[in-house]
Amino acid sequence: MPTRPLVTRYEDDLRLFPDRWHKVGLALGAALLLGFPFAAGASWLTAGNHALIAIVGAVGLMILTGFAGQISLGHAAFLAIGGFTTAVLGERWQLPFWLCLPAAGAVATAIGLATGLFALRLRGLYLAIVTLGLLYLVQHTLDAYPALSGTAGEKQTPMYVSFGDTPEGMRDIYEKMAYGPLILDWDQKLYGIFVAIALAAAWTARNLTRSNAGRAMMAVRDHDLAAATLGVSPVRAKLIAFGVSSFYAGVAGGMFALEQRTITVEYFQLPVSVEYIAMIVLGGIGSVWGAVAGAIAFVFLAKLMQTLGPSLPYLRSLPTGLQTAVLFSVLVIAVLVIEPLGLYGIWLRIKRYFVAWPFRY
Amino acid sequence: MTDILTLTIAGLSLGAMYALVALGFSVIYRASQVFNFAHGELLGIGGFSMTSLVEAGLPWPAALAVVMAITGAIAAVIERAVVRPMIARPVFVTIILTLFVALLLRAIALIIWGVQPRALADPFDEAALSLAGAEVPYKTLAQIAIAVLAVGGFFTLLRRTRLGIGMRATSTDQEVALALGIPVGRILGATWFLSGMLAGLAGVFAAMKNPLFDQQSTLIIAFRAFPAVIVGGLTSPSGTVIAGFLLGLTEIFAPVYLSPHLGSFGRNLQDIFPYVVMILFLVVRPYGLLGQRDVERL
Repeated sequence: MPTRPLVTRYEDDLRLFPDRWHKVGLALGAALLLGFPFAAGASWLTAGNHALIAIVGAVGLMILTGFAGQISLGHAAFLAIGGFTTAVLGERWQLPFWLCLPAAGAVATAIGLATGLFALRLRGLYLAIVTLGLLYLVQHTLDAYPALSGTAGEKQTPMYVSFGDTPEGMRDIYEKMAYGPLILDWDQKLYGIFVAIALAAAWTARNLTRSNAGRAMMAVRDHDLAAATLGVSPVRAKLIAFGVSSFYAGVAGGMFALEQRTITVEYFQLPVSVEYIAMIVLGGIGSVWGAVAGAIAFVFLAKLMQTLGPSLPYLRSLPTGLQTAVLFSVLVIAVLVIEPLGLYGIWLRIKRYFVAWPFRY
Repeated sequence: MTDILTLTIAGLSLGAMYALVALGFSVIYRASQVFNFAHGELLGIGGFSMTSLVEAGLPWPAALAVVMAITGAIAAVIERAVVRPMIARPVFVTIILTLFVALLLRAIALIIWGVQPRALADPFDEAALSLAGAEVPYKTLAQIAIAVLAVGGFFTLLRRTRLGIGMRATSTDQEVALALGIPVGRILGATWFLSGMLAGLAGVFAAMKNPLFDQQSTLIIAFRAFPAVIVGGLTSPSGTVIAGFLLGLTEIFAPVYLSPHLGSFGRNLQDIFPYVVMILFLVVRPYGLLGQRDVERL
């Protein structure tokens, strides 16, 4: 039976893939990831790309909420900052996308740290209200300066691959192109790039949990006074969490802008922040795995619910956006009351069943 | 001069709304340590049920009382059904729950009343009082008066009655209060009920403010009231009320005297002005107007 190998050294405890079954899972996951863009139809591929964007954003929020125990209602603001930074850098200076995305993250981090510096000074969840203010502030600023947000509230986001690319030269990037034996269309190319970013995001976050900074965040989440007594600075830990989380959100916003090609200020509002909270609750607060699973489940469930919503009584009379929101609200409330660890908790139970088999526990 | 008078009264009536919302929000925070993000939805429900009751022919004061009872009951139900089972779970989980309860409440209100904006008939019509050359609608004066009465009544209840003493004891230390024989559960329910009543009243005011109102417009008022909680000091109900009135005043004065100097950033400044004030406060005086400095006790 696949029981856990005997841990005798700290190195064993720290390994990312401690046993054979993790490696089998990894191989299966890799096969699924590689096969998906060729097996899925156009609309599912788009959903897949959205899921990858959501993974990056949700992992960011998980670091803040799941690890450091702070609530942010301003995740949409950082997505907006990232998105519009990418758009402005691309349109104004024709910078390649692989430079725009980290820049988007960096700008979001800078603004996040500036806000967090005074929002996180106090004990308690001040961040929830302050980030709500930040969300309105960012929207107001973007609306006030069309140089940032584009004319008529719409901003084009060009995607350049290297320095010196011109808008004319890059037109065919959006078409089907042959790369050696592979013929890829736009969504498939984007998928490849996004998979790499999402994997990097999940991996770095996973490593963060094993680092000093990550453990400090969790100590502060569980008991800030105890953590402070042990020499962990709660303000510092929360600030690092907020900064890192903003970076992820900025990158996710940049990815969203590249995927959509045209972004509007109106999109980045409170409901988007709430969606991301729904994702991490659904997946299970407190683990990177949960953020990834929650993001994927959210995007694909949302697609299902859009078809389900109109056929339900009462819900029919609501606007489409709210129909999905209601279904997710019910789901999230149920998860928090019945299975607080979400999908991750369900997975743990299944795993425990097999690990302990033939005994009950 | 007349300008300033008109603006002051407009600011006070706006501030009255903020004070009511923020007071309810802060009282719940004191009692249950929860940011109740469903609080804003109660405004919309209050305004809408008021239109329905008035259309059904109920006299205005009776309708107001029924509305406040309805929103109070909703708040108490939220406490009983959602917040109390979450005791001993991390606080942020409860706050997340209130966010989604808010979404559900919004959906329920939309199902009952639809998406069309509605108008609330009130007994004050368009009549206005001439005061030093300024036209002051009776409606506005009534709002300020009712709000002051409600807030005053609330504080009297808090200071002078058995229930109020129980509420203060519960918010100081739930376990000690329980050990002293105070029915903490019932007190928490009553706290949420009172807070919901204040929200319902604010909702009716919000509905009176414009000839037509919808859920979005009342919700925006609630969201702009939240900063008052931090400006006033998270743990201080009286500070919250003062901050609510101050924010209302500054929000009315800012577009007139400040916006012209800010270029395109000044357009619609009132939409975000409470939050700007809040951020300034967090930088300069993070514990708020009357809040206590955090003292750690182990």
